[in-house]
Amino acid sequence: MRLEDIARELGFTELTPEVSGARDTDIDRGYASDLLSDVLAHAPEGGLLVTLQVHLNVIAVASHAELAAVVFAGSRTPEDDVLAKAAAEGLALYSSPADTFDIVGRLYALGVKGNHA
Amino acid sequence: MEHLVYDIRCGDFTGAGAASRDLKQHLKRIGAESDAVRRAMIAAYEAEMNVVIHAEGGGRLEAAVSDGQLDVDVVDQGPGIADVPSAMREGWSTASAEARALGFGAGMGLPNILRNSDRMDVTSALGTGTRVSFSVALRPEATDQGARPSSLGVIAELCKECRHCLVACPTAAIRVRQARPDVLDHLCIDCTACIGACGPRALTMTDAPGALGGGDVLVVPPALLAGFGEHPVAAVVEELRGLGYEEVLSVHRYEDALRRAVIDLAATGDAPAPLISPACPAVVNLIEVKFPSLLDHLAPLASPWEAAQLALDDRSATFAVSCPSQRTALLAQRPTAQRDTVTAGAVREAALPRLAARAPHVAATAASAPRGCGADDLLVVTGVQHVLAVLEAVEDDRLPGVSAIEPYICDGGCFGTPLLTEDASVAAWRWGAVGGDAPGDGASSARTRPYRARPGIRLDADMAVAIQKLTRLDAETRALPGRDCGVCGAPTCAALAEDIVMERATRALCPYVRPVEEESAT
Repeated sequence: MRLEDIARELGFTELTPEVSGARDTDIDRGYASDLLSDVLAHAPEGGLLVTLQVHLNVIAVASHAELAAVVFAGSRTPEDDVLAKAAAEGLALYSSPADTFDIVGRLYALGVKGNHA
Repeated sequence: MEHLVYDIRCGDFTGAGAASRDLKQHLKRIGAESDAVRRAMIAAYEAEMNVVIHAEGGGRLEAAVSDGQLDVDVVDQGPGIADVPSAMREGWSTASAEARALGFGAGMGLPNILRNSDRMDVTSALGTGTRVSFSVALRPEATDQGARPSSLGVIAELCKECRHCLVACPTAAIRVRQARPDVLDHLCIDCTACIGACGPRALTMTDAPGALGGGDVLVVPPALLAGFGEHPVAAVVEELRGLGYEEVLSVHRYEDALRRAVIDLAATGDAPAPLISPACPAVVNLIEVKFPSLLDHLAPLASPWEAAQLALDDRSATFAVSCPSQRTALLAQRPTAQRDTVTAGAVREAALPRLAARAPHVAATAASAPRGCGADDLLVVTGVQHVLAVLEAVEDDRLPGVSAIEPYICDGGCFGTPLLTEDASVAAWRWGAVGGDAPGDGASSARTRPYRARPGIRLDADMAVAIQKLTRLDAETRALPGRDCGVCGAPTCAALAEDIVMERATRALCPYVRPVEEESAT
């Protein structure tokens, strides 16, 4: 499913409108974790990450793991320098008021699966 | 062997990751396969973060890139690990509350390094520090190794060493040494930037004798048809036929067909956005050399000249090209077509006396829309600086709302070729005024040759040699003053450094460089 459609369906707030090209990215895999090493180890390339972490290292980790997008759960919003870094790396960021469990459940219903599904 | 050293500070969670990012750039420069780069980065990042999280005394990451292998050593003055086997198990961590709050300290750092490397050792002494070393095998990324053919001509004896071409070239492919311009074929994209910058015409296009020898069809660019003052297209066509051709065909019908095909393809939504038109073969070359990540964005269609060649396959045709890249594209598609191209400038020279003998024509004054503005959803970009800026924007995903791009290296598109004398804007206006811009009936063609990344910026096809050269390149660049003055014959100090490494020049060419003894004394 296209990232833009996922964001609309689940009511995500787009934090990086500069990364407009990412909206067309087809997302079929995802990962949820707040442990960055865990993200590095297991997040699927080209996938979407749901996390509570909003600091700069998330961008570095997402970039190293070659993720397409990050969704911040619980209405968390990163600082401007984090947004700027993500834009420079071509990484799309979204925010959602829902908690991680609910976001993942809805993503799963839309067909975004984990590594082993 | 390339040797890199990075100091890492404990607790610096903001600056963390800088060493692994820089290492990534180096690995790309030597052409390492992207999967190996990804694994190396994850391992290096974890090792770097271990120092940031644990080692109060800080630490140092040293990386050695040698033949087919990356060796990384991370040594810190931290507390040491009491139980290394436990630390190698997932979930075991001694990280601080601060580190854990940031998502570190998952107890996966060392296991992650193990998983992403081909060899790993950890030695640690309590109260002294820890050494983590690992290796990752590097394989070269596959690219097209073939040398790029070029149709740019050099007439050495005309060169006055003004060096204007050095600055004009968008890929830094020209050197002016021994009183002549030399073109580095692996970087040249066959555009007209240097031709336009060269007053004495040492950089130009040449024609084989008898190239304008007559035949079934003469294919010409609109700029040529509009390049005879107020003579209407019909009169120009008549005189061009007089050069020995049954038919004169303007390539604009294939330009229009390609534009429609690109817009249609972009509208399907199946193509990567924005879709890039291959109308200008020099832009295609530029993307192959400098923007390989955008190859997917190029519409899989033939350029207008290639489409014309395919359509006229059963007739004897002469193609009056207006730039080197058009000729090279035609020759690449039909290697036997060597004598079938001629420069538009030569055609103009030949037709000029015939047209001068005709009665002057009273001008029509039809207004014409600027070329390429017919479609709202097409972004037309002309001029090399603008093309570079737009391609970089596409690469960085900074062009929202643009579904298709039609870029031309020449300012003003193909009307701007320096091989014809009329200014681009005047020629484009006149093309409309003489009625030449009526819709054409050409068809677009699928591309016959795939787009291929070209290793233009790679230092050597052999990764081991590339690594050695990269090390020397860093040292040479530091030794040069950074003035980019051009006196050495290279456009920039970085280009001279590369010339030295590639054995095309020596450091003595730089008038400002300090002798080695003096440099080491300061």
